[in-house]
Amino acid sequence: MASRGLLNLAGATEAALIIAAQTRDQRAFNELVKRRQGWARALLRKMCRSHAEADDLAQEAFIKAWDRLKDLETPAAFPGWFRRIAVTTFLMAKRRQKAVFEEIDDASPIAAEDSTPEAAAGAKIDLEKALARLSDAERLCVTLNHGEGLSHSEIVEMTGLPLGTVKSHVLRGTEKLRRLLEPSQ
Amino acid sequence: MTDFDTLLKASFAEAHDEPADDGFSVQVGRAVARRETELKLRGAAYTVGMTAAAAAIAYGAYAVASAYGQDLLASAGLEIARAHGALSSAPSVSQPFQTALQSLGAGMAQILLVTAALAGGAVAYRAAQQD
Repeated sequence: MASRGLLNLAGATEAALIIAAQTRDQRAFNELVKRRQGWARALLRKMCRSHAEADDLAQEAFIKAWDRLKDLETPAAFPGWFRRIAVTTFLMAKRRQKAVFEEIDDASPIAAEDSTPEAAAGAKIDLEKALARLSDAERLCVTLNHGEGLSHSEIVEMTGLPLGTVKSHVLRGTEKLRRLLEPSQ
Repeated sequence: MTDFDTLLKASFAEAHDEPADDGFSVQVGRAVARRETELKLRGAAYTVGMTAAAAAIAYGAYAVASAYGQDLLASAGLEIARAHGALSSAPSVSQPFQTALQSLGAGMAQILLVTAALAGGAVAYRAAQQD
């Protein structure tokens, strides 16, 4: 195994771990999971409503990453490459749940969010709770755009959604978050 | 970009990674180990299956050869002998070809003589006309 050459897995660089994992070194991959799990779970928790679902999808994403690790060209590309796997895993889970991403629900009442107890009380709710109020598609697009810094076209490329749909989801999701996060005047 | 967009980006940036969960890492490690074991078992099953299939084919071929081998070899030998005989007694293909070439050669000399005579006659006639 490649990691036999690494005296201390915990002290190895991420690039070294990735290269070792590409040679099917399970110990190196386990160390990589230990280091990246917090980031991966946080990313998926922003996309999912439920923490348990997010952790399940994160686990599924790591297993897919293990299967496809040989396709990763350079260790430096790992974060973007893994993010793509995480998004694909999320989208596949939503398709299994028959979630509809393409349709824009123009009738969804943004204004109705103001009538929630938190908003009515003027309480500033945290980002995670606010994200949970968005639809799956809005949450995904807003997270990728504002959270991960991806452009609209990059989101289109990653999710396969039409550009207009992505723009609408980002716009509407952001507007909903504004109403939820900004303190009451 | 509006102030709120900036605020939102900052909120996302401030959102920390989830705290490390050893149970999560262990679960992923076990799932990966299970997957590798399954792959190895599948590979071994494939090898065993292919070996068994090859052995069955070899055994079948051996059984057929044992039962009909001598007859088949005898028949094949006979057919080879017949084919060899038929080829040996066949008329030569080169003989008529050579004859045709020789005829063509003899005819070609006469054609060339006639052509030369005609050409000489034509030149002499042309010279007489110019004079």
